[in-house]
Amino acid sequence: MGDQAVTATGLMKRFGDRRVVDGVDLAVPRGAIYGVLGPNGAGKTTTLRMVLGIIEPDGGARTLLGCAHPRDASDRVGYLPEERGLYPGMKAKEAIAFMGSLRGLPWSAGRARAVEMLAAAGLGDAADRKIRKLSKGMAQLVQLLGSVVHRPDLLVLDEPFSGLDPVNQEKLEALILAERDRGATILFSTHVMAHAERLCDRLAIIAGGRRRFEGTVDDARATLPARVHYQPRQRSPGITALLPPDAVPAGEGWRFALPADGIEPLLATLIAADHGIAGLSIERPSLHEAFVRIVGAAADDDDGAPR
Amino acid sequence: MTRVRRFLRQMLTVARRDFVATVATPVFLLFLFAPALMAGLSAVGGIGAAQMNDGDTDRARIVAILPPSQGRIMAAEDARLRRIIPRGGRPAPLAIVAPTADPAAQARTLVAASDRDVDGVLYGDLARPTILLAPLARFSGDYLEGLAHATLATERLGDPVRVRARRIETRETGRSIGGQHQAGFLAVFGVFFLTLFLAGQVVGSMAEERNNKVIEILAAAVPLEAVFGGKLLGLFGVAVLFVGFWGTVIGELLNLLPAGVSAAFGELAPAIGAPGFAFLFAAYFSMAYLLLGSAFLAIGAQAQSQREIQMLSLPITLIQVAMFALASAAARAPGSTLALVAEIFPLSSPFAMVGRATSSPSWWPHVAALAWQALWVALFIGAGARLFRRGVLQSGSGRWIRWRRHGAAPPA
Repeated sequence: MGDQAVTATGLMKRFGDRRVVDGVDLAVPRGAIYGVLGPNGAGKTTTLRMVLGIIEPDGGARTLLGCAHPRDASDRVGYLPEERGLYPGMKAKEAIAFMGSLRGLPWSAGRARAVEMLAAAGLGDAADRKIRKLSKGMAQLVQLLGSVVHRPDLLVLDEPFSGLDPVNQEKLEALILAERDRGATILFSTHVMAHAERLCDRLAIIAGGRRRFEGTVDDARATLPARVHYQPRQRSPGITALLPPDAVPAGEGWRFALPADGIEPLLATLIAADHGIAGLSIERPSLHEAFVRIVGAAADDDDGAPR
Repeated sequence: MTRVRRFLRQMLTVARRDFVATVATPVFLLFLFAPALMAGLSAVGGIGAAQMNDGDTDRARIVAILPPSQGRIMAAEDARLRRIIPRGGRPAPLAIVAPTADPAAQARTLVAASDRDVDGVLYGDLARPTILLAPLARFSGDYLEGLAHATLATERLGDPVRVRARRIETRETGRSIGGQHQAGFLAVFGVFFLTLFLAGQVVGSMAEERNNKVIEILAAAVPLEAVFGGKLLGLFGVAVLFVGFWGTVIGELLNLLPAGVSAAFGELAPAIGAPGFAFLFAAYFSMAYLLLGSAFLAIGAQAQSQREIQMLSLPITLIQVAMFALASAAARAPGSTLALVAEIFPLSSPFAMVGRATSSPSWWPHVAALAWQALWVALFIGAGARLFRRGVLQSGSGRWIRWRRHGAAPPA
């Protein structure tokens, strides 16, 4: 347990008759950036809220920074909820200090850090402005700074990139990496694969309230075979007999999954049959493709076996 | 121990935010000075009403149709009798009119006259007079009858017997029973009046966090019990500021009052002694505020919209008035079963106990009552947080005992 920042085993949550989370396991190593991926309504937010102790699970267990009850660790945790909210009448630096003081950071220290952090984020002049006077993106950044002002050991971000323009998304990625370099563990949820692909050390894919995959980004991509795009020197009718059965014509060439025994035997056959090689590329599937495949399979699964 | 300390710290953080957010607004000044506005308006209204009253008595008359010889005697008797009636209860001034040939017609003319109100006209033989009365002027009739009696006696006896007693004024020796009941009622009313205006504020206070989604941040960072407790404490701070401000103002004004009025207040001395009573009044005001406030906070937190909160204000006012009625009935009957019920029922307990402080000198019931009330405040906060967690945050499926045992929430 010591090297896990967050563990969850068999977490379950029912809203009425519906099982929103149906036995999710998580193990977030300390110091890692961990992504919880899933389509809308998969149960990501509910899982995070249970892990944080905002709501209580109907079944299963979780530990947060080694504490059996999440409340005991709350001062060492930072959280950016999906539904952003700040007191509109508060000044930006007060809002950050308030969020810090909820987590045990003295107000004065919080205010001082807030000014520094806002300046570092290029919002130095916003420190004394009220939240209602800030743009949505700025307010979101203020809230993010508020969730890290007390330098938490664990940072939980629920859909942190939603609603941010690309420049601010870049800033947020930099901030997440900086927090990781400081030594914090980061657990975040998203349904945008690009961020997960760039940031995550490990990830879990949740769909239909269950965990469908756990591992590294590479592990996820490896769930699909690589795609081969092969272009012969000239198109001749006999070639289809030599290519794998799933090959489909694509432009001047063919597209098919990388065979289980590698590309070399196939190439040898093709060269021997004098089809030649005008072009050849082997593309690993993206996380996006892996995600769609895993989530799609999960949906088929659930359709086949309704609960 | 650290868990309790952390809980207190979290609660104070929330309380501080709420206090500052409430006090540091222009609307708060309006709230703070509302009693001055109210007093100003009622003073203007009072002066106006008093002037109208004066006008009434100026214009109204009672009239006696008498020959001048009897008229002089009656005027003297009127001056004597009028003195023993308290100022507010005196009849309209008396006018003596000499009789004409038909006094009955004369009387009717007088009553019908439109230039001034005539409450009553007496005419005829003084031993068997007729009194013509305006509607609702029965007292004027009684008075004219009495005047006729006195006038006739003086006339027949010549110089009547006049008794002049030697009067000895005693000093205040102790509290009167009436004074105690009066003090009990005033104390209950004082606590009620303060909480009526102040505790109702708490109802809508969770709405802010629900509307602007801050609740998610709060709920993630601190236990809901600390959020509820903190909100209650923050608004209680506002109430204390308000009461402190006006307490000081009114205290200074009382110092300016003439000595006679202060002596009248002495009559109201509470049984438990003035300093002890001041302490208990403050303590029970706090408890009344916290009890009603925590109950209202719990109910208000369930409201889905601003409209629902407004709808709640009527039942909430009714609850307060009911508690006040119960406690003031108890203050008039110390030691009765009703009083005991009012003292034990948590929502009326602070009101009833402050009434008890005026009539009974023993301290231990107060210690017990304060502890009992504090327990209920904690229970209300706990129940409010639980309801909120389940209803609004959509958590818990009835197995709260399990996570309570895990130490989800330290005692409030």
